[in-house]
This record gives sequence, C-alpha cells and structure tokens, in this order.
Amino acid sequence: MNVDRKGYFDRFGGRYVAEILYQPLEELERAFNEAMEDPLFIEELKRMQHQYVGRPTPLMKAENVSRLLDAEIYIKLEGYAHTGAHKINNALGQVLLAKKMGKTRVIAETGAGQHGIATAAACAHLGMPCVVYMGSTDADRQQPNVAGMELYGAQVVRVESGSKTLKDAVNEALRDWAGSFGETHYVLGSALGPAPYPDIVRTFQSIIGKETKEQTAELGFIPDTLIACVGGGSNAIGFFSSFLADDAVNMIGVEAGGRGEKSGEHAVRMSDESSRDAIIQGYKSRFLVDEDGQVLNTHSISAGLDYPGIGPQLASLGERGRITFTRASDREALDALKFFAEHEGVLFALESAHAAAVAIKLAQQKSLKGKTVINMSGRGEKDLFITSAVLRKEEWRSFLLDELKRLEETDV
Amino acid sequence: MSKVRIMSHLIAGYPDDEGMYAAARGLVEGGAAYLEIQLPFSDPSADGPAIQKACSEVLSRGYRVAQGMKAIRDLKVLYPQVPVFIMTYANLAYCIGIESFVASAQESGAEGLIIPDLPFDADEGLNAACEKYGITSVIVAAPSMSAERIEKMTRENRPYIYAALRAGITGEQTHLDESILSFIERVRGSSRVLGGFGISTGQQAALLAPHVDAVVVGSAFVRLITSASAEGPEAITSALKEKMHKLTGCTEPS
Ligand SMILES: Cc1ncc(COP(=O)(O)O)c(C=O)c1O
Repeated sequence: MNVDRKGYFDRFGGRYVAEILYQPLEELERAFNEAMEDPLFIEELKRMQHQYVGRPTPLMKAENVSRLLDAEIYIKLEGYAHTGAHKINNALGQVLLAKKMGKTRVIAETGAGQHGIATAAACAHLGMPCVVYMGSTDADRQQPNVAGMELYGAQVVRVESGSKTLKDAVNEALRDWAGSFGETHYVLGSALGPAPYPDIVRTFQSIIGKETKEQTAELGFIPDTLIACVGGGSNAIGFFSSFLADDAVNMIGVEAGGRGEKSGEHAVRMSDESSRDAIIQGYKSRFLVDEDGQVLNTHSISAGLDYPGIGPQLASLGERGRITFTRASDREALDALKFFAEHEGVLFALESAHAAAVAIKLAQQKSLKGKTVINMSGRGEKDLFITSAVLRKEEWRSFLLDELKRLEETDV
Repeated sequence: MSKVRIMSHLIAGYPDDEGMYAAARGLVEGGAAYLEIQLPFSDPSADGPAIQKACSEVLSRGYRVAQGMKAIRDLKVLYPQVPVFIMTYANLAYCIGIESFVASAQESGAEGLIIPDLPFDADEGLNAACEKYGITSVIVAAPSMSAERIEKMTRENRPYIYAALRAGITGEQTHLDESILSFIERVRGSSRVLGGFGISTGQQAALLAPHVDAVVVGSAFVRLITSASAEGPEAITSALKEKMHKLTGCTEPS
C-alpha cells in the first residue's frame, strides 16, 4: 500500500486543495513526521492518554450475548474513553501537535458532536481556544454534545449551508482555515481529507487496535473477526490497522443502511453500487454523488455515519477485498442497541450499534467466524434524545413538555 | 487614463436562466474584458456565503452541468468578442470525465478553465486535455506559495495565471498593499495575470489594474444580482452595467 505516490492508497487519497492550502498541509506533514520521531511528544501523549483519557479502554467478553447467540463475542469498550468515544484519541494527538507547532487557535468540524466535544475538551485541557463548526441539523439532534462543547469553553458555530450536516461543517472549517492557517490548526476528525490527514488520524487512532491486540493476546488468542462501524472511517482504520498484516483476521466494516435502498435513504458507499470515484473535500475516494458529480443527500439514524464519502485507505482496502463492507439499517442498529443494553449492561452509541447489529445478524446466520471483537466506538448516553424519541415516544414527549413548563416557571 | 479591464464573475443559471442572460448583458455592455462563469457545485468549499447561497439555489432547481455548458454556448453566440472562462470545482470535471468535460467546454466556446482544487501538479490530466482541445487551463496561485513552488508553477508557461490576492475565501474585503503587488510580480512569469479576491470598488480596481491583465470581481456582482433580481431582468442588467462602469472607471467615480 501507499506505494509510489505519497499520500495515495492505490488510486485513492491525494491532496486536491486550492493552492492556498498547499503550504499549510506541507507544514502540517513536516510537523507531524517530526513529532512522531520526538520521544518527548510521544511520552507526553502517552501520559495524557493514561491520566486524562483513561486508557487503556477495557476489552470485555460479552458472556450473556455470546451464550444467547451461540458465538464468542468480545467488545472493545472504546466508548469508555473520556468524552465518550474514540474521537478523543485523534483530537488530543492533534491538539498537542498544534501546540508543538506554535499554533494559538484550533478549529474542528463535527457531525455527531463526538469529535467536537473531544476537541473542545482537549483544547480546554491544553489551554487552546477552540471553534467547532457543526451542521445545524446535527446541532439540533445532538444538543447534549453542543451543551458539552460549550461547557468546555468552545464556540460552536452552526452551519446552515448545503445539507447542514457533517460534510457542510467540513466545508466551513476549510473556509476558516484557508484564511487563518497562520495561527490556526484544523483538527480534522476522521481518516479522510487531503494528505496528510488520513495518515495523521489513522496513526492517532491506531492505539485502539494496538490495545486490542495486546488484550486479546493476554487472554491467549488472536481474534478471528473484527467488526467496526464506518462513517469517515477513523475508528475502523484505528481498530483494524494493527491486524492488517495478518490475513487470517477477518475484518468487517459496517455502513449506515438507513431506512431504505433509495438514494438519500442511507450512506452506503462500499457495500453496493451506489457510490462513484470522486474528488471532494481534498481527496479522491468513493462518494455518493449524482451523474454530474454533485454530492447526494444521505440518511442515518446516527449522526456520525451519514457522511457521503469514505476515507481513502478504507476505500482501497475494500476494493482489494481486505476489508468486507456490509450495512445495518436504522432499525437493526436500534434493536442491537437494546439487545446489548438489556443482556450485557452495555450501552452502544448508535454509530457503534451498527457494528453490533452485524455481529448479531451473522451469529444468527451461523456465519460469524470464531472469536469476534466488536469495536464499541462510542457509548450511547449522547443518543438518549434520539433513542427515547423512537423507543418511548409518549413518555419522552410528556417529559419534554413538563421540562419546558418547569423551565418557564423557574428562573435559575 | 486607460479603462480598467475587468473579469466579471457570473453563476450559470443564477438567479434563473433569464436573469443570468440579463446579468451577462449588463456586464458586457458595461465593458467586461472577460466573463468568468461558475458552474455550481454542491460543496463550494473555496467560496464565501454570497456565492455558496447562489449555487445552492441554482442546484435546488435540478440544474445540470449540460445546461450550464449550453448557457455558455448561447452567451458566446450573443457576445462572440468576450472571452469566457469556466470556473468550477474538481469533481464536476472528474465525474463526467476530464476529457469529456474539456471537450464540452471547448465546444461551448470557452477560452479556458479555472478549477482551483485541481492543483497544477496533480491535475488529473486537465492541462493535457486542454492542450489537446486548444483551450487553456488557468492555474490559481495563492500568496501562501513557497518560492520553490512558484518557480515550479511559472515553468508551466501557461497563458494565464489567476492570482488569488489573499488567504481565505471569496467575498471578503481585500486590502491591497506592497506584499500583494510583489506577489503578483513573482507569479507573473510569462503569463497574463488575472488578479482578484475581494475586489468590490472602483478605487481598488484602479489600484490593481496597472499590475494585471484584468481585475477579477466576483462576489460583488453576485450580491448585486441577488438584490436586483426581485425587480426583474432589466433591473439586473442596469445594476450590473452601472457597477461595471464604476469599476472600469468609465463614468464619474462613486
Ligand atoms: C461513536 C462514533 N462512532 C463512529 C463515528 C464515525 O466516525 P468514524 O468512521 O470516523 O469512526 C462517530 C462519528 O462521529 C462516532 O461519534
């Protein structure tokens, strides 16, 4: 992989940006390569991963679920990391890098809000001002994360352009950066965008796979199957990367099947014929676009899986057949979320529940091979507003009405 | 004093087909040296709010690239004397196929293409295709470029260089100073320089004009089109013509 041309994974990747951003990306690449060779940087990052993030995150055997499904299922509880998802691994690494580069301001985009909240927390921890761009549709459906970001002192900017979701937040962050790169670092949140971002994000996320490898080795096995959900692809590539060289390890990436097969109802880029090669947001990959190349709308019940493209390395690994891509629907993700909550006492984020859904489906079909590890990329508390509205609509409605009344009657 | 040469920006299909022809008419009658026509893309990440909003309005009508190409062909029939450059984003050219895109641009009568997110040294065959079809691919240079990269760029010997005069996106104010003028000199090489980004007044245009082949004015026109469109096509034509006169310095300054 990454053969002849720098920044490419087979035909995917590259650095397709307006000339103004070429120099800042070069500067970033140099600084990142230096930091990776700098023992002090690595030491400092390790210390914070332990003391601040709470690493290593646990690997647990899902005893009850394994018995019920007649399978052997483990869960990497990545969602136990500080701020509730894997996003903190990348955010902390990049904010530390920004500091080392002498930058004095950080910007980020966010979809579900998990990357935004992780970046906001990392910035507060390291003393950097932080601006987070968030599509207004996402901000509305992920209010708890908006509130969290603001508590950490970040400024959350609602993005009203385009589909008002993650891709539009990326556009807005790129616009900011094109005018501010002198003092500002842009913390991109998934393993995509122009080079060197896919390499940076994979590197900081690869700790998920490294720990999983050590933890399974301690238990005396090498996993047969790994399952992760795929939005832009950062938790998946971070989880898979330590195992890529071992062909015996079966890897499954799960995309958002949404509510149907029609265009606009899902975010399936790899597991059917919906996507095309395209150059968008600085890189070449598989995207959901129409014949003219205009980006199509997508849908997922989870705000983190509705991005219309996919990180370039995953696109290439998918085409090579190293990673198998499949999908889970909104409904299947919700059912899986309930199933693991009730039987295991573990609450998956809706994104990660897509991975859990595929584990259940394969086990029921008797085609889940050997010892399986699901990456629970996030925990589900952030989604209570969404899951409650579906799973207990009436109770939720009366709670909200009462809450509104209470709010208006008291002035704290 | 000689008249200031302006490259004026239009968005294909904006505010609607009739309004776009009215806008082009105002610009040409006002004395535009070049027309830069943007084919709207769903994710215009180098553009500010005025152009973003206009593009998404056009696309919400289901506007196709082929309609934009046809509009350009029509404009070339009306105004054969004014060179037209097509500005757009990489993906519209890439998805249709770089060569077919260039072929249809040439067929529409365009002089060249401006695609900022296809860097000159990773352009997916854009320049080669342009040479084959006899049109030009314009490089967009930016003030953040290193001396080394500027040298690599000028070695391309392109007929035109588009100099983006400041960091950032379209539609914000630009302050012209010594560093900008020296940037223009450094990127010029043997090319004609089209210089712009944030130019909106006759005063700015007059300052810049001696240093460039043409001054590019974009968002300022788009904003005028937006505000005049409620009053109909004639209002668009006269608003743009008047603005053009101010920019070229052909009538009393404002
Ligand atoms: C918990 C969680 N999992 C997964 C994702 C998807 O992103 P990625 O594919 O980059 O891991 C997100 C994105 O917001 C998320 O919050």
